[in-house]
Amino acid sequence: MIPNQSTAPVPLPHTEPVQREITRLCIETGLMLLQHGAESALVESVTRRLGLALGVRSVEVAIMANALTVTTLSEDHCITTVRRNEDRGINMHMVTEVQRAMLAVEAGELDRTGFRTRIESIKPERYPRWVVALMIGLSCACFARLAQMSLPATEDRSWDWFGLGLTFAASSTAMLVRQWFAARHFNPLVNFFASAFVATSIAGQGVIYKLGLHPKIAMASCVLLLVPGFPMINSISDMVKGYINTGLSRGMMAVLLGSATSAGIILAMTVWNVWGWL
Amino acid sequence: MNILIQFLQNMALAAVPAVGFGLVFNVPRSALVYCAAGGAIGRGLRFLLITAGMPIELATFVAASVVSLLGVYIAQRLRAHPKVFTVAAMIPMIPGVPFFTALLAVVEIQRRGLTPELLNTAITSGLRAMFIVAALAVGLALPGLLFYRRKPVV
Repeated sequence: MIPNQSTAPVPLPHTEPVQREITRLCIETGLMLLQHGAESALVESVTRRLGLALGVRSVEVAIMANALTVTTLSEDHCITTVRRNEDRGINMHMVTEVQRAMLAVEAGELDRTGFRTRIESIKPERYPRWVVALMIGLSCACFARLAQMSLPATEDRSWDWFGLGLTFAASSTAMLVRQWFAARHFNPLVNFFASAFVATSIAGQGVIYKLGLHPKIAMASCVLLLVPGFPMINSISDMVKGYINTGLSRGMMAVLLGSATSAGIILAMTVWNVWGWL
Repeated sequence: MNILIQFLQNMALAAVPAVGFGLVFNVPRSALVYCAAGGAIGRGLRFLLITAGMPIELATFVAASVVSLLGVYIAQRLRAHPKVFTVAAMIPMIPGVPFFTALLAVVEIQRRGLTPELLNTAITSGLRAMFIVAALAVGLALPGLLFYRRKPVV
C-alpha cells in the first residue's frame, strides 16, 4: 500500500502565488494521467512526487470516477482544487511523456516554468488510422487462428484461410467504423454498439453462405477488438491496490461497453437471422 | 501436431494482437517491441503450462507474473511505467469470447426464458472471464505487491 502521508525532508517556504501555481501543476498533471487511462495508483504517486519535488510539504490526492481533487500543504496553508475529469481515450504516449516530465523535475532538470512549458507541449500523438485498422484486422485474424488451433481433436484444425480472411475484413471495417464514431465524439456505448453490428453483419455472411470450415469462429473473433481489456485490467488492479471506488466505476464501464457490444451482436444476428454464438 | 510447433505458433500469433492493441492504446513506438515480446512470452508460457496440465486461471496468473517481472526491468531502462506496455502484452490472454458469451446468454435468458443450459452458459462463461481477468491483473500487480511495496517502480 502507498502511505497516506508523505513529507519532504526540507520544506522551503513558499509565497501564496507560488503554492497556487504548484497546486495547479499538480492537478493538471494528475488530470492528464487520469484522462488518458492511467491506473489510480500511478495518478496518485506521480501527482504527489511532482508536488514534493516542486517543494510543497505534502500533497493529498483524492480520485473519483469523474473528478480529481488535490490539496497541497506548505507552511501552514492548504490550497485545495478540483477538476472535472472527462475520458479522452487510452493514450500510453501521454502517460509516458507526463511521467518523464515528472522524473525530470525530481532529478532537478526542470523547475516550475520549465515543467509547465514541457507538459503544455505534449500532444496526444495517434498512429495513422489505416495502420491501426489493418493491424486490428490482423490481430483478430490471429485470434481466429488461435481459436481454430484449440478446437477439439475431432474437428479439422488445419488453416481455414477463408475464415481468417473474413475475420480480417470484418474487424478492419469495424475498426474504421469505431474510429469514425470516436472522431465525431459519439458516446462510446453508441460507438461499440454500431461497430459490433457492422462486424457481426460482415462475418455473419460466412455462416449464411457456409463459407470456409468454421464460419462461427470468424463470427466470434471479429468482435474481439471491442473487448474493453484495458478498463477490465485497470479495474481489478485499482481494487487490489485499495482504490475500490475508481475500480468499481471502471469495472462497471467495462461491463456496460460489453453489453452495448452484445446488443449490437444480437441486432445483427436478428437482422440476418444467423445464430452463431449460442 | 508437434508441441514445439504449436508453442511457436502460439507465440507468433500472440505477438500480432499485442502490437495491434498497442497501437490502439497509443503505446510509444520504442515500447511496441516489448509489447510483442511480452505477448509472445505470456501466451507461449501459458500454452506450455496448460499442456502440462495446469488449470487455465493459474497458468494465466503465472504467465502474467513472469511478463510483469520482466516488464519491471524494461520499464526502468525505458523510464516509463511498466503498465504502458504490459497491459497490451496481456491482450492475447484476455478472455474475450467467454466475456461476450456470458453477456449474450443473459440477453437470451431475457428473450427466451430461463433454461438450465442458458443459465449454465451465462454463469460458467462469466466466472471464467472474471477469474482470468483477475489472474491477469493480480499477476501484473505482483512486483508492486511483493518487491516495490514502499517505493515506486520508476
